[in-house]
Amino acid sequence: LQAEDGANERRLVREAQDGSGAAMARLYSLHWRGAYRAAYLVAHDAAAAEDIAQDAFLAAVDALHRFDRRRPFRPWLHRIVVNRALDWARREALRRRVDGAESVFEPLPPPEEIGGELMTALKELPAEQRAVVVLRHLLEYTPGEIARMLELPRGTVNSRLRRGLDRLRVAAEAESFAEERR
Amino acid sequence: MSSDRIGRALRDAAIPAPPEVEARGRRIVEAAYAERRSGRSELRGAMAPKTSERRSRPLPRLALALGIATLLAALLLSPAGAAGRDWVGEVVESPAPKPEPELARIPGGGRLLVQSATGPWVVQPDGSRRLLGDYEEASWSPRGLFVAAAEGRTLSAVEPGGTPHWSLTAGARVRTPRWAPAGERIAYRSAEELRIVAGDGTGDRLLAGSAAAVAPAWSPSGDTGLAYVSGNGELQIVNSETGKVLAAAPALADISRLEWGANGTAILEASPRVLRLRGIWVPKVSLTRKLGDARTLPLPASSSLVGAALAPWKQVVAAVVTHWRDHGTRSEVLLFAPGTAKPRSLLTVPGSLGEVAWSPDGHRLLVAWPGANQWLFLPVGRGKPRAVANISTAFSPGERAARFPRIEGWCCRR
Repeated sequence: LQAEDGANERRLVREAQDGSGAAMARLYSLHWRGAYRAAYLVAHDAAAAEDIAQDAFLAAVDALHRFDRRRPFRPWLHRIVVNRALDWARREALRRRVDGAESVFEPLPPPEEIGGELMTALKELPAEQRAVVVLRHLLEYTPGEIARMLELPRGTVNSRLRRGLDRLRVAAEAESFAEERR
Repeated sequence: MSSDRIGRALRDAAIPAPPEVEARGRRIVEAAYAERRSGRSELRGAMAPKTSERRSRPLPRLALALGIATLLAALLLSPAGAAGRDWVGEVVESPAPKPEPELARIPGGGRLLVQSATGPWVVQPDGSRRLLGDYEEASWSPRGLFVAAAEGRTLSAVEPGGTPHWSLTAGARVRTPRWAPAGERIAYRSAEELRIVAGDGTGDRLLAGSAAAVAPAWSPSGDTGLAYVSGNGELQIVNSETGKVLAAAPALADISRLEWGANGTAILEASPRVLRLRGIWVPKVSLTRKLGDARTLPLPASSSLVGAALAPWKQVVAAVVTHWRDHGTRSEVLLFAPGTAKPRSLLTVPGSLGEVAWSPDGHRLLVAWPGANQWLFLPVGRGKPRAVANISTAFSPGERAARFPRIEGWCCRR
């Protein structure tokens, strides 16, 4: 099935490169939700996730004519998405540190709860760990592929994954315990 | 803990993903792709809707009605200020709306902020209204929970019910306060300065030492971008936190209005004779701003621009122009849509119209008609126009020669 999906995706890329708007629209339909979800889970900000996913698609459109048709489209897009989400999360963390105890008179409405100890724990991970967890467990890339996407040594990917999972495990156990009690 | 469980949690987590987000992205990406294909590299027009999504042209019946109306207007021409005559009914689609004697509800909902000689008023969706106090200027906070109100050297945050929350005293008269879309900052002018204060009234500070007498405009994206016209006539986009200039270009000569709208993709500049739109690319993730070329929107020959407003979600501009024709003043409401060479005429009336404001959902326009003492609610697409009479007296009760109030804002999209 994956091979079939891959062939289908290559065909869509080829047609989009040849000027088919319908093929581009199909690529968008296939990948928007995954891109947005990945961006959100790394950035934990809906407006930023929208910008990041949109920006990644625009970058893809811009570079489509140079894209090597033999390569898969999906990892290329996800690489852009996750790296930009990471950049955003780092900048946001820096901004929070700079702003310090800034009080906000009229804050934006609180983001919708995405529920559960596990999600809360994911949000509390450092952005670098969140990114590898999302790439590994949502988008299902191998550590080797993640290392190439983030331009990191494979050992660094593995250690970030391990540290992230350790912290998520505690949250998952708490969640299981709460479920049992219910 | 298994990988499956984490994967499932990540896949199933209910993240905030409103359907319009995907649709909005689709339009932008498809427009960018189409533009790329047509060989234009600039993303200036990327927000233009697809041809199929463009609003349909007015029906021939409407064109005919407008033609007849123009003729009628010429034949029945009355001087500017022909109060009481139901011109609206004669110049727009039938069935003709009779002006309602008072505002019983706001078509399409939302709340209005109106500045009259007695001060700013908040009008609720059911038409009820409340005077906020003795302030000279006012503007909405992003969700309409507060109003930034100015009186002399005092800037105040006031609840729509009239209760003030805080006030600060500036070194000189406070002008054009504008609340940032994320709610955490207010920009205002005081003498030559452009200043910033936190939404709770703390941290008042100088952002620019020399600003022109034009209201600044915040980035609608909720980031720190702020557009203003500098004292030396430059349109600048600055980071309101750091003061760093992110982009700059010469501003329109004699500029009187600056708006940053269309979902953050365009800046509108208006002067008494010229209206122009500048595309802007605002990728939040890269902290950069790119100003596109300015596109001058064609106004009718020998006309003066009275008011203009950029739609909140699309690069559609509503403009009110007046011109002297056939021995009388005529006013026209025009709509400029992306990708069209000529504006669409929405309404022509004898006399002078005033300012124009978009409804928060971008479906309606509110146009002031001081000469007829009316407000006109005009649907941009389908729907019936409505007229409401006796506006002056509604906002200056007890005054026989009340000045026609000014529409400051129509709030808020939820």
